[in-house]
Amino acid sequence: MASTLDKPPRKDMTARAGADDPVSGGSRRTWRDRLSWLDFKASPYLYISPFFLLFALTGLFPLIYTVFVAVHDWDLLSGQGKFVGFANFTTTLGDRFFWNSIENTVSIFLWGTIPQILGALLLAAVLDQHLKAVTFWRMGVLLPYVVTPVAVALIFSSIFRNSADTSLANNLLSAVGLDPIEWKRDRLASHVAIGSMVNWRWTGYNALILLAAMQAVSRDLYEAAAIDGAGAVRRFFSITIPSIRPTVIFVIVTATVYGLQIFAEPRLYDVANAGGIGGSERQFQTTVLYLWEMAFFRQNLGRASAVALLLFVLIVSIGLVNFFLSARISTGEAKEPRKTRRLRARRGASR
Amino acid sequence: MRGNRSRFASIVAIGAVSALLLAGCSGGNGGNTGTPGAGESSTTGAAVTLTVTTFGTMGFEGLYDEYMQLNPNVTIEATNIDTGGNARTDAFTKIAAGSGLADVVALEEGWLGAIMEVSDVFVDLKDYGIADRAAEWLDWKYAQGTDPGGRVIGAGTDIGPEGICYRQDLFAAAGLPSDRAEVATLLDGDWQNFFDVGRQYQQATGKAWFDQSGFVWNAMVNQLPEGYYTKAGELNIEGNTEMRARWDSLAAASADGLSAAQTAWDWNGGQSFVDGTFATFVCPGWMLGVVKGQIEAGGGDATTGWDFADVFPGGAANWGGSFLAVPETSENKEAAAALVLWLTESDQQVKQFEAAGNFPSTVAAAAQLAESATPDPIFNGAPVGAILAGRAEGVTAQFKGPDDSLIQENVFGVATQALDTGTANGEQAWNQAIQLLNDLVVNG
Repeated sequence: MASTLDKPPRKDMTARAGADDPVSGGSRRTWRDRLSWLDFKASPYLYISPFFLLFALTGLFPLIYTVFVAVHDWDLLSGQGKFVGFANFTTTLGDRFFWNSIENTVSIFLWGTIPQILGALLLAAVLDQHLKAVTFWRMGVLLPYVVTPVAVALIFSSIFRNSADTSLANNLLSAVGLDPIEWKRDRLASHVAIGSMVNWRWTGYNALILLAAMQAVSRDLYEAAAIDGAGAVRRFFSITIPSIRPTVIFVIVTATVYGLQIFAEPRLYDVANAGGIGGSERQFQTTVLYLWEMAFFRQNLGRASAVALLLFVLIVSIGLVNFFLSARISTGEAKEPRKTRRLRARRGASR
Repeated sequence: MRGNRSRFASIVAIGAVSALLLAGCSGGNGGNTGTPGAGESSTTGAAVTLTVTTFGTMGFEGLYDEYMQLNPNVTIEATNIDTGGNARTDAFTKIAAGSGLADVVALEEGWLGAIMEVSDVFVDLKDYGIADRAAEWLDWKYAQGTDPGGRVIGAGTDIGPEGICYRQDLFAAAGLPSDRAEVATLLDGDWQNFFDVGRQYQQATGKAWFDQSGFVWNAMVNQLPEGYYTKAGELNIEGNTEMRARWDSLAAASADGLSAAQTAWDWNGGQSFVDGTFATFVCPGWMLGVVKGQIEAGGGDATTGWDFADVFPGGAANWGGSFLAVPETSENKEAAAALVLWLTESDQQVKQFEAAGNFPSTVAAAAQLAESATPDPIFNGAPVGAILAGRAEGVTAQFKGPDDSLIQENVFGVATQALDTGTANGEQAWNQAIQLLNDLVVNG
């Protein structure tokens, strides 16, 4: 890089008035000079262009085309119909099944994200300790993430059968003396079951991310706190969690964006019932599943595109909420260095 | 020595992880069934691989092998989708995408209402010689596969004449006649009679009569001269007094505990077929393969006690039926059409019946089955083919409109489940169905 910052070599070494301009390097530049100037200015953009070209092709164009489809009457088989403006959006907003799917999405999201993040925190704290064969344990927690969601959904769907005798979950319940639950008919039970699928898959993944953040926390803090008499739990809540706050925010944001788009699990949970649209009364139909039903089951692509855009707006607004919350929290981070500094000062003074 | 031990441990760990990763990342099964004959180039041309997509239990597996032996240059890769509902979603998605359909696609009669609107997605089999054989099929079946423009897009495979599958051991235990002929007399009549016998059974044993209301309702609707749509293509549900009357009798039956409230297509992993949860099951020909599969999955066999009676409440009727079609996107249209025409020949349809119980749609095959009357061991030696042939006499398929499958699954499927779980009585469930109909079909 240093060579491109130097003045391009000049063929004519004789000094000329006004020829000392470091940028143009003189009025007579060779094509080589121009090329290297171009290289300096333009290559960063060229290096990042493949990503943007691919994104424009596979991400941006479909997004814009979806807007185009959403303002038309568009049947799956017979194709483009007439222009209808916002009719698809108003119909969707007035459709009770759309709001039902939003409720289900939020409920499944909460059941599937909160235990996951809490579990990931605990798991990361445990993995941060000195364990035997610690790498094995750390890689082991990632195994549920490697399993394909379809296989997970089929197995969990079998575990959470309705019946009292062939369902593993109901067998466990009756072993403890509780009544069997109709996991696929009852609305809340189905949300818990689908949430458990999501938790099972993502806890290990998030645990590793949080673990990476925890390992960046200075051990001196823990030592100092231990010397001051703080127990393990106190250390966890007062040192670990505040120190990894940005990572926790990142994990929450990614979990939120994913959690609002859950599709594979509810789709396969009761796949033979009512065409796999999320239970016969749409007890566990998430918004993406509602979108799928509208597009490929009821064959109305126009309304499905409207749902997609409404979901996009919802996720972006939640993302913005997250952003502002985290901006507010991170200004609180300025306190952290002070805390650290205070601890260090105390240690320094006690030496 | 610590260095050696940690090195050994790390080698083991790397080996284990690699094995795991390879297992996890390895591609799916090859899927190739059979290989072309050794070296011989057939007179029909170069080696060709045909993909076939079917659903349910169609009984084609043995036929694929036979075809590949007869035509060594052809390799068949078959995919079978578990239920017709999922197969419909698969087919429609690929039709809309314009690619991804197999060379041969199985279509169900319920989808034809929507597919006929885009029938030029499929080739006209008349270009491949089906017109010469048109007389082999039942005329209504051949006409059903023909689009309004006269193009024959589907070659008929099976039709769905219905009988009643029943547990002869449970009937005997309840004091009901259990011999096939006697049961045929007992259940002959209308649906009210069927439910009344069911009430007798229920009083004697305290157990349910049929598995769930959904299939019984489907059978009831398919029996009407006009179902969810009139022949002109108009919706035919609101104000349909005959349909409402049938609904009310079904609702009364379900309220009296005659329904075992099973999950269709699951049935407790097949166990409900074995442990006596219900005693009767509506059985069109294509359902026999499903029943056999469920009995086996539930750990039962021929001794479980299922039998097949030559009777159907309300009279003979047809439920379902499939066609084989070749999409225009296929790259091997001629070979695919040849396969379709071969699979739908009478001899092959008889073999299909022997494999899975699907009743043929050609006149000659139906006559052959009526004659041979082979006993089926799983159904207590009942001559299933002959019985179904008798049940198919004079039966025609009902007209299916564009949203027929949707109404069956997502309108009345929901309402019948509400009946079974007891969350709604007959009136409420019917109103729920009408509301769903308005939301999903009329305004959707």
